[in-house]
Amino acid sequence: MTMEQVWLLPAIPAGVFVILSLFNRVLPRRGDFVAVLGMGTVVVLAVLAIADFQGAFHDGHFAPAPGANTYEFTWVNIGDGVLRIMFSTYFDAITAVMVFVVSFVALMVFLFSIGYMHGEERYGWYFAVLSLFAGAMLLLVTTNSLIFLYLAWEGVGLTSYLLIGFYWERQSAAEAAKKAFITTRVGDVGFLIGIILLWRVAGTFDIQELIHLAEEGAFSETYLTVSMIFLFMGAVGKSAQFPLHVWLPDAMEGPTPVSALIHAATMVVAGVYLVARTLPIFDLVPIAQNFVLYTGLFTAVMAATQGLVANDIKRVLAYSTVSQLGFMFVALGLGSVTAAMFHLLTHAFFKSLLFLGSGSVIHATHQQEVEHLGGLWRKLPITTVTFSIGSLALAGIVPFAGFWSKDEILLEAFELNPFAYAVLAGTAALTALYTTRVVLLTFAGRPRDQHAYDHAHESGPIMLLPLVLLATLALGSGFVAFDGVGRALGFVGGIGQVVTSHGEPHSFAFHPNIAVPATVLALLAIGAGFEYWGGNAIRAERARQWAPELHALLVNRYYMDNLYQAFIDRVVLGLAGIVARFEKSVVNESGVDGGAQTLNWMGFRLKFLQTGRIPNYALGMALGVLVLSIFALGGGE
Amino acid sequence: MIPIENFLLLSALLFAIGFYGVLARRSAILILMSVELMLAAVSINFIAFAAYMDPEAFTGLIFALFVIAIAAAEVGLALGIVLRVFRERRSSMVDDASSLKW
Amino acid sequence: MQERTALPPQFDRPIMLGGLLAGAVATPLLVVLVALRVVGLISSPEVVFWMAFGVVLAGALGTVMLSNIVHAALALVFTLLGIAAIYLLLGQEFLALAQVLVYGGGVTILIVFGLMLTNATEDPIVSDGAQKPFAFGVGILLALVFAVALLGHHWPAVGPAVISGAEFGERLFGEYTLAILTVGVLLDIALSGALLIARPDSPEESAE
Repeated sequence: MTMEQVWLLPAIPAGVFVILSLFNRVLPRRGDFVAVLGMGTVVVLAVLAIADFQGAFHDGHFAPAPGANTYEFTWVNIGDGVLRIMFSTYFDAITAVMVFVVSFVALMVFLFSIGYMHGEERYGWYFAVLSLFAGAMLLLVTTNSLIFLYLAWEGVGLTSYLLIGFYWERQSAAEAAKKAFITTRVGDVGFLIGIILLWRVAGTFDIQELIHLAEEGAFSETYLTVSMIFLFMGAVGKSAQFPLHVWLPDAMEGPTPVSALIHAATMVVAGVYLVARTLPIFDLVPIAQNFVLYTGLFTAVMAATQGLVANDIKRVLAYSTVSQLGFMFVALGLGSVTAAMFHLLTHAFFKSLLFLGSGSVIHATHQQEVEHLGGLWRKLPITTVTFSIGSLALAGIVPFAGFWSKDEILLEAFELNPFAYAVLAGTAALTALYTTRVVLLTFAGRPRDQHAYDHAHESGPIMLLPLVLLATLALGSGFVAFDGVGRALGFVGGIGQVVTSHGEPHSFAFHPNIAVPATVLALLAIGAGFEYWGGNAIRAERARQWAPELHALLVNRYYMDNLYQAFIDRVVLGLAGIVARFEKSVVNESGVDGGAQTLNWMGFRLKFLQTGRIPNYALGMALGVLVLSIFALGGGE
Repeated sequence: MIPIENFLLLSALLFAIGFYGVLARRSAILILMSVELMLAAVSINFIAFAAYMDPEAFTGLIFALFVIAIAAAEVGLALGIVLRVFRERRSSMVDDASSLKW
Repeated sequence: MQERTALPPQFDRPIMLGGLLAGAVATPLLVVLVALRVVGLISSPEVVFWMAFGVVLAGALGTVMLSNIVHAALALVFTLLGIAAIYLLLGQEFLALAQVLVYGGGVTILIVFGLMLTNATEDPIVSDGAQKPFAFGVGILLALVFAVALLGHHWPAVGPAVISGAEFGERLFGEYTLAILTVGVLLDIALSGALLIARPDSPEESAE
């Protein structure tokens, strides 16, 4: 398996999807082993491809032999080059990170799902769609063509829709699926417009070629700015950034492993991936890049504050995901692919760990509101430990993974944009606060729902294995920042050497003046969390009553959903009503029915020609014969 | 020697009279008789051309013979239909059989 | 001894009138024709032709104009026999014979049977439809068109070839065996079909 053959990675899960969707009812165990084996193969192949990637470094730079990391053939060729769509793959450091994250987390989630989804009615279909998702996601991260990227983009959107609405018998799940699909569609339209704008000037969908052309100045700066902002709209929708973030918390209606895979680790980072992939172009247009930066910054703060008050364990994690994605966009806005991809990597591990942990809790108690949980550490020791590791990673505590990647982002911000640094540091503290809150409310204290507590039991090994593996990575994956660790794994160095920003490798350096305040802030936040939620409920209630208006604002999600609902009710439906009336009165009644009525009237008049009397018909025939004879006579002479 | 024009004129007039009869008559049997007139006119044409223009080829004569045979068949068949219609509607007037209208 | 029933009056008068009319028209014509022959302006066949011409057209007009259907059928017989004479003038013995047999005999009898079976005489005697004027116009126009077409052309001035019955028969059953057999089958099928159509469906129907 070389970098050239990376197209195999999406092909395998896609094939699994075909097999499972057709035969899941006849296969033993509904074919879940097919999905797991397929995903396992993908992980192995991905690791082999990464090994091949490791060999392509010369003098510390990624320098593959020409064509060694690409694969392409012409998919569509209209007018000999007027519209040429290539299927192409491209493998570089970003791809390497994404391929590993996607395939590994997917495998973990597949394994976890065997236990979590056991006994579901649509068990086989679940694995089929999950495989299709994996295929689409792998295509998304390996392709080099914007058209295929868009295709995969919609593919993951579709599977997301199908999986959020997996329990479609439940009204809220169906609504959430629709909301997710439509909200991301708003962004996707912008994405498509961006693609077309780029193609219009460049005449190609090839990302690397586009980057090359942009650097050569093929586009005017304004044009490029507009195009890239449109492109970024797609990322905003898919990665749930403000103002299109509203779908992600609702997406928690889906099965929890799905939330772990799609709505935490992989699909939602597609937007981050897209911006990282096209970052050389964003670098050329500061306005668009600042747009990315401030969108991410605002989202990070906003989502973190909402995470503080959410009561659904999965919703807390969802807000946290939105917030962390904001962190990544800030890094990208600052021009640091390294920091963004690093945080993406660690976040994928600890966030999927947290989701799977919450899945374990839900599986054990059938409750996901923190009001019904509490004190579970006695019943679910392994889940508690792994969940806590994930939480510490999320909170950014040394030496867990999140610390290193968050530190990298904070470092970039400190150097380039002190304002962003200040905001992010505050947000990191908020993160620690809400993480502490959810851990304490779930696992510590006294059980608030005795019935749920009594029936709780630790999950089986098939579910604990992914938890433990992911916990290991949540603990250890941050160390890839160090050159020594990177070299030990076969890379040229730490992640800064591999995933380079602006093509300049750099080594990790520890900056105490950044790391220490951040850690202290986080620890203070954790302490505050213990103060409020660690003990009895009175203090928690006091925290809630500290500023009731603020609390209401947060619980109501800044009234964003109400605003959108009002917008849809008034503006969209109003316009739709006008269009509908126009359609009804002008198009339908005058255009369609009018023509029909005219014909009807004519038919009514003309039908009296049909007397039914044979002599009349004979007369008509005779007249015809006469006319023809006269013509023949004239023609003959 | 009779010029061929005489026969052709006779045939043309006979045909036109038959045609008039078909259009003007109400009774199915009268229409049938008018059709016989038209067929006879056609036969005269065939035979006149065969006898004057091309006596060796014989085709016109055979046609005329066939016209006679087929006219006989047609009369038989048409009378059958007329009988049928008469039995259904107690009338052999063609304009009484006008249910196939608006 | 059976008492002889008198013909209904509506049969009486038209026949006598028609006979008188025909005689009044035909006699001067005949005289003119004979005079022309004696003078030598026309040949004997032509005399016969014009006589047949008159009979055919008079019979045809009678067929389409007489309001009494039986009279119309009678006029048709005259026309058909006149046409047989025309065939003879054209030198076709066999066809003339066939015409007399098939038309003058078979077809006429069929038609008269049809008239009887449909009680045609009892119908109200409005034998012509409402579109009679149109039909008249169409007929006149058609005759004009045909006359112009046929007479406008210059035909070669040759006489008709006479074909005897024996020669006709030899060629008919020599070259055209298959055709004549096919026509035979066609006739058979047509008459079987006619029988099938005309046959009563049920005993009640036939009992009527």
